Formats: sequence, C-alpha cells, structure tokens
Amino acid sequence: MSSTTSTYLDFLKFPAFREAAQIRVQRWARKRQGTDKAVTQLKSRRIYILPTGVGLVFGLMTFTMLLGSMNYNNNLSFVLTFLLVGVGFVSMHQCQRNLVGLEIAFAGVDPVFAGQAAEFKIAITNHSKNRRPHLRLYVGGITSHIDDLEPGESRVFYLELPTSERGRVYLERFGVRTLFPFELFRSWAWLHMDLSGLVYPKAARNVPEPPPTQSAHGHRQHDARGEEDFAGLRRFHVGDSPRHVAWKAYARSGELLSKQFSGADTSSQWFEFDQVEAADVEQRLSILTRWIIDADRTQRDYGLRIPGHEFSPAHGEGHRHRCLEALAFFDAAEPDMKVGRVYS
Amino acid sequence: MSKRTGTDGSLLASLPWTLGALAFSVIPHLQYLPIWVTAIFLACSGWRLQVERKRWRLPPAWIRIVLSLMCFIGVLASYQSVSGVGPGSALLAVMAALKLLETRQRRDQFVLLFISIFLIMSSLLREQYLWSLPYLMTGVLFTMTAWLRMSEARRVSVGRSLKTGARLMAYSIPLMIAMWVFFPRIATPFWAVPIDTSSATSGLSDRMSPGDISSLSLSNAVAFRVKFTSNVPPPHERYWRGLVLHRFNGRTWTGNEPSRGSSARDAVEYLGDPVAYEITLEPTRQRWVFALEIPYEWDRNKRFFMAGQQQLAIIQPIDQRITYNAVSYPDFRLNNELQQFERNRYTRLPDDSNSRTVELARNMRKSAGSSEAYINQVLRKFNEEEFFYTLEPPPLGNNPVDRFLFDTKQGFCEHYASAFAVLMRAAGIPSRIVLGYQGGEINPMGQYMIVRQADAHAWNEVWLPRRGWYRVDPTGAVAPERIREGRSGAMFDGIGASWGLNAPSEFLYQLTMTWDALNAKWNEWILAYGPDNQGKFMEWLGMQKPDWRKMMLTLVAIVVLLTAIISVMLIMRYRPPAKDEAARLYRKFTGAAGLEPEMGETPFSYFARLIIERSEITTEADDITSLYLDVRYGPPELASVKALQTAVSEFPRQRQ
Repeated sequence: MSSTTSTYLDFLKFPAFREAAQIRVQRWARKRQGTDKAVTQLKSRRIYILPTGVGLVFGLMTFTMLLGSMNYNNNLSFVLTFLLVGVGFVSMHQCQRNLVGLEIAFAGVDPVFAGQAAEFKIAITNHSKNRRPHLRLYVGGITSHIDDLEPGESRVFYLELPTSERGRVYLERFGVRTLFPFELFRSWAWLHMDLSGLVYPKAARNVPEPPPTQSAHGHRQHDARGEEDFAGLRRFHVGDSPRHVAWKAYARSGELLSKQFSGADTSSQWFEFDQVEAADVEQRLSILTRWIIDADRTQRDYGLRIPGHEFSPAHGEGHRHRCLEALAFFDAAEPDMKVGRVYS
Repeated sequence: MSKRTGTDGSLLASLPWTLGALAFSVIPHLQYLPIWVTAIFLACSGWRLQVERKRWRLPPAWIRIVLSLMCFIGVLASYQSVSGVGPGSALLAVMAALKLLETRQRRDQFVLLFISIFLIMSSLLREQYLWSLPYLMTGVLFTMTAWLRMSEARRVSVGRSLKTGARLMAYSIPLMIAMWVFFPRIATPFWAVPIDTSSATSGLSDRMSPGDISSLSLSNAVAFRVKFTSNVPPPHERYWRGLVLHRFNGRTWTGNEPSRGSSARDAVEYLGDPVAYEITLEPTRQRWVFALEIPYEWDRNKRFFMAGQQQLAIIQPIDQRITYNAVSYPDFRLNNELQQFERNRYTRLPDDSNSRTVELARNMRKSAGSSEAYINQVLRKFNEEEFFYTLEPPPLGNNPVDRFLFDTKQGFCEHYASAFAVLMRAAGIPSRIVLGYQGGEINPMGQYMIVRQADAHAWNEVWLPRRGWYRVDPTGAVAPERIREGRSGAMFDGIGASWGLNAPSEFLYQLTMTWDALNAKWNEWILAYGPDNQGKFMEWLGMQKPDWRKMMLTLVAIVVLLTAIISVMLIMRYRPPAKDEAARLYRKFTGAAGLEPEMGETPFSYFARLIIERSEITTEADDITSLYLDVRYGPPELASVKALQTAVSEFPRQRQ
C-alpha cells in the first residue's frame, strides 16, 4: 500500500525499502484473506490500522504534556493530558469501527480505449444505523474522492486507472480507508476481487480512408444485412450474432453453428487486417479501431476480418463491442495470460 | 506561482471553528499578555477570515519572516526571557497569529489546533481554579469539533460536529479519570520549575514602611484555610505568626532572610492546652510559613524549619499550594535570657530620627517606674488619646513615627506597631515587630477557617527580664474590636467593610461561603492529589503498600477494561438494524389483531379482510399496513422502522 497523502514525516520514507516491505505485506494479506467475492462485507479481522503523521505528532505532544504535568505536579494538566490520551484511544477504535460492516460491491467497469482511464465503479453500502464519514478507495497512488455515507446509504466510488495498451486492465486488489475521526489514525482494508476491465486498442488519429462500400446498387443501408439467402452452416465464432446461431442444430447435436447467408458481402463495408497499410500490427489495429468507431457513429454496417476472426457486416452496440474486443485480444498468446496493466 | 494566487474559500467550513477554538484558548491569557500580542492575534484572525471570504491573497514570505522576527524580538523585549509560562504563552499566541498568515491548506490548521491545546495547557500551569476544569473541557471540545470539521468530506451542520465531538469526549472521560487516579505521581520534579514573577500574588511583604503607603487595600483573597482538629481558639487568640522584623532605619522595618536557628525551638516554653490544626496555604512565592503563634510541632517531611526568631520557614519559595499539620500552644515563654548582642539588636534605633518620640519615651519611662508600668502607660496613651484606626492614613514623610504620634494620630496596625516598637526601644526595652495574620472567619459550610489577605496584621513582641518575649498588640488598644472580631467584622471610620460576616445579605453570604467551601474541597481533593494523597487513596482503595508498579498495573488493567467497554459500545452503535424487524413487527400486529393472515395474502387484502371483521380498528390497522409497506418497499430509513415500532407497540393498548 502506498499513499499520496503527504505527512509530516515524509523524510522517513525510503523508497526501495518501503516498496519491498509493501510487496511482502501485500502477499501476506492476500494469502491470509484469499480472494473476495464481488460483494464483500468487511469483517473486523481484516481491518488494519496505523497512526498517521498527524497521529504521531499528537502522540509526541501528549507525551510532552505528560512530562510537563509530572514535573509541575499540576493535576489539571494531568486532566488535560489524559483527556487527550483518551481521545486518541477512542479515535483509534472509532477509526477501525468506521470500516467494520461496510459492504463493498463491484459495480462494473466500462471498456475504454488504451490511453483512457478505466473507471472501476465500486459501491459501498452502509448498513448500520450510524454515519460513516471520510471513506475513500485507493490502489497504489490512485485514490477515489472522499465521501461520507449516511445510515443505509449506498454510494459509488470511482477508481480511475490509467491504461496504456490494449487487452485488459487488472485490478487485483484495492483498499478502502478512512481517517475519521481526527486523522490521527488511518485504518484500511484490502479487497482482492480480481477485477478486470477491457481495453480496446487506441484509436488512431490520422487514418487512411476506409475501403469503399461494396454495394453496387447503392442501397447499402437496409440491404446490408446479408440475410437474404441461406447459404449453409459454419462453426460458431465469437462475435457472431446470436440471431444467426442455428439453435435447432445446437439442440440436436450440441455443437454451436452459425448460419451463413449468401449475398452478405454484396453491399457492405469490410475492414480487413491485411488491407490496412501500416508499419506494424499495433498501428493496423489502431486504424481498424478508428474505422469501426467512425462507421459506428454513422450507423453504417461494417464487417471485420482479422486473422482468426471474421465478423459479418452489421451495426449496433453489440457488434461494435465484439469487433473491438477481438482487436483488443488480437494475437494474445493465451487468453488467460495477463495482458495489460495490473494494479494491486 | 501558485503561492500568489488568492485563496479558494475551501477553508470556510473549518477555519471559523479553528479560530474560535484558538480564541477560546487565548481568553485566560488575556490579562497577562502584552496588549500588542493580543492586538496582533485579533488582527491576524479577523484578517485571515476575511481573506478566506473575499478570496484575497496571503502575504508573501518575506513579510511573514519580517513579522516573525519582530514578534520574537517583541516578546523578548516584553519579558526579557523566552522561557516560563508568561513568555511561553505570548510566543504561542504570536505563533498562532503568524501561522494564520500562511494557512493555505486544510491540513495547515493542524498546527493551529496543536497550538490551541498548548495554550490551554499553559493557562493551567498558571492558575488552576475551580472553573479551570469546565474551561479546559470546553476548550478541548471546541478544539476537537474544529478538528472534526476540518476532516469532514461533506459539509455537516455545526450541531452534528459538536455532537460527534462531545460523544468522542464522553467516551474518553472514563479513561481520563482512570489514568488520572492511578498514574503514579512523583515528588521530585525533573527540572527546576521557573518561578513566574509576572503574576505575583498579594501577600505579606517582607518589609514594612508605615507612612509610605497612604491606603491599605483590603484584598479578600484567601491567604490560607485552617481545619482544627481540636477546639477552635477564640478570636483574640488567633495570631498567625509569620515573619519578624527587627531592623529599623527610621522609616522602614526589615528582618533577616530565613535561616535555620540552631536551638530556636529549645528556647520556647509552651503553656496551656495544645491546638492541633491543618493549614492549606495559598502560594506566597516567599519562604515564610504561617502557624498559630509559635508552633510546637509541624510536618517533619515538609522541609520546614524554625528560624532564629522562632518563625517557621521552608527551604524553597512556596509557589504551589501546600498543606501541613501543626500543633501550637496558645501561650508561650521565650528566651528568658537575652545575650548582650541581642539586647543591642532589639533596642537599636537610628540616630537623629524620630527624636521627639525618643524624648517622649525617655520621659514616660522615667515617670512610669517599671518597664511593665511603662508598657501599660503607652498602651493607655493609644487608647485614651485621640488615636484613630483608619485604613487611609495621611502620608508621614521623613520622621514617620514623630509625625504619627504627635500630628496625624491616624493609622492602621503597621503605624501602631512601628510607633510602639520605637517607644519601647527608646526606653531600652527590647522589642520587635511580627508580621502575620490576625483573625479568621469560620466557614459554616465547610467547618474550617478562612484567613484572608485582609486579615494581615502587624504586632509587637517585647522582652522583659524573667518574662522573656511576649506579645503586645498596640492596635488592640486603639481598636479592640479589630482584635476581638477580626477585621472582617469591624467597621473603622465607615471604611473597611468587607465581605464575610458583613456581606450585604444573608443569601450572598451563604453563596460566598459555599463557593469558598467548594474551592477548599477542590484544593483538597483535586489539586492536592500528589504522591502523599495518592498513596493514602490507594490504601483506602485496598491496595497494600502502594508503589508505582502496582498503580501502573491497575491503570493498565482498568484502561483495558474500559477500552473493551468502549469497543462494545461502538459495535452496538454500528450494528445493522435487526434483519427483518419489519416482518417481526407485522407478525406481532396480526397476532394482536387476532386474525391469522392466509398463505400468500398481501398486506392490502389482509387489511381488507381484517376491517370487515373488526371495523373499530380501521385507522390503526391502516396506519400499520401503510407503514409496513413503507419499510418493506420504501428507501431504507431508520425513521420508518421506528414509526412502525411505535404504531405496533401502541396497537394493543388502543384495542382496550
């Protein structure tokens, strides 16, 4: 865990040592807690607490005051000192309690294009009868906004993780922390939900004109579905429309097959990996991405053909997503292998 | 540079509170702070608030540095020192003011709140009155509330912050009490406690120049309180002996610094029945300790000693309230033999001053025959001639005794004591002046005696062969009521009426006495809780041979226990509402209604069925049904569960 909050004790931070220690502690916590469900209620045994810089200064102050009180044998200074010590004690317990029982739930992450920030939405619900002030999510140096939860209230906190390359962005773990009541202590809990979000390739900025529409008749709009004449069955590919799945055949044989229609190619735009003129693979993918975005924006039908995948021309949110997803995972050696940035 | 941009107004929610807490902490210092410090503090606070409101800019660094230097030099110039409570608190106030000039972020306010706490602390080092306790509690509450407001994410109402602050403080009070009681007190300080001369208390001075001051201010401040364990002596025997003055330069009487007299106590012969008592002496910043006449016994462990002239003294100036026990005898005999050098010392008068008095004394002595007769004659002179007791005598000039005896004939105890001593010495009778207190007023609320600064008194001791030293009080010859009733009860020339027995009304009298009794208890139970009292209290609690280890162990045990209790209380506060409270309440309702709902029946259809059978409960059943549906399907709100609870609990009662 690292924090962006600057403290009065910044000079004590030895970067290398801290990093090594952090990794060890994180591994230990992961081993101890295991993987969390997407909806997790925080139990007290997984909540950690340490004094903040302000807390250390506060401790030093009360210690000085104690010495002063002892020296002067001043019983009212003792009252003041011990009252502050008591406040410190109570605020430690209060700080830890402020997290216990919170319900943390993953509330989704929308796909983004590489270079954009993936916004992980995490809902925190306060089921208790008491207010929970000053809550915040964090991962590494990235933090959400700070918010308070009224009794029974649920609020979404956002963790915006920067992405740089296509594939996935992994949020292996994140923390929720609080400084309430006096910022003397910081208590936190780590959650290992193994979340991930999809990162489409970055859309290229200056792109060559996409290949022209292949419709000879000039009515590509309504005619472009390619569903006129049934031409046969082929094996189902990821990205094929569910409407084209031969469900009857599936019921019979248990094998997923897609219906193929002739004439599909006649009046639509095809974006083909091999036709893109670009220096490298990533550049090609970027250009394809841009073409898809532009075509989608104008509601045109488009098909995508890349090594390993072929998506018949269509349009709509689902089609766009399937195409971009295929581009995102293009050439990934193994689907399970972590591609993209891992945050923990 | 971002430094030079205006403020963004983000501190508006917390800054007024931080300033309020600071100002509250400064209040007890106001009467001691140099006026310029207060002015700078107020100016910076008001200005900083305005900066935040109007989004002005903060001053550049060089202005702050110059100001800081000037303030530091200013404090140094005002106090000639930077250590001690006075300059310390002035520095804190100045630091707070200057820190305000660079308070840019929310977190900068931490420093201000730390200063606020230190200001409260330093005010306690200076004075610990009864109201200091509620004051420090309120100060901490304000500081904590400001602290909370600084760290709240959303804007919350002031009431809410105060409530949270008060709740957290309420949790910590039991912890505070436990630590306060059991934390081992030590007798010897780690470092020398600097004596703060800036707040000198009124008290006896160690010199006396009658005629220099033309009016004596009557302070009702308490000098000490006395608890008698034996009979209370009658008013005319309440002579609290303090210091002895024997050196006279014609105008001023002075004495010796207290030093241990080798056999001072052996020279005393104690007569009569002993009086045992306990005195709680307010700090005097002097080394004199007061006792009834010449004490026979006193606390051996208090580092007291008896000085050469039978005065009780302590080795260090008294800058904290002390309590001690002593036993005295109402009458004593002292120094039956006087050495020649002593005789000289106590009969010495400066040449060519107060010559008329000297001449008068010689004549009177000759005609009187014996020393005893002479003394009586002098006293009779005071009594029968036109001498007046007044607290506002005219000034006396160069030969004060002459002028007093022959011209003005007005004065208070110091004038009479001084004149009497000169008259004695001029006639060859050894005499000296004793400063102390005479009188004391019983507080019926607390069964103890209050001796006030207004009871300060001066009297004489004269030495006669075969009789030794004995007390003569010439003031008693002029104003016997002063001695009989004590100053508080006396009215001299219409002035000098003070509180106490002459308080304007019975109610006010009761009030002052109750207040004083409370203060006495406060001193006894809270402020005097040192190593001795703690040990006694621990023994009373049942601890055998208390030492610091046992106390620390008890402390830790109690703190652990209290922490566990606080933890449970917090768990209760944060527990979720019972899982299906609504369903339970609804079942209770159907049970009370006496009609079993059918399987799968909705609350509405149940309601419809119920009112056909029992139309008299339509309103209540309707209320409960809609409340139940609210809880079930509405937004999760505790208020609606509570409403359902009340409705259901009132339901059966309404049936009957």
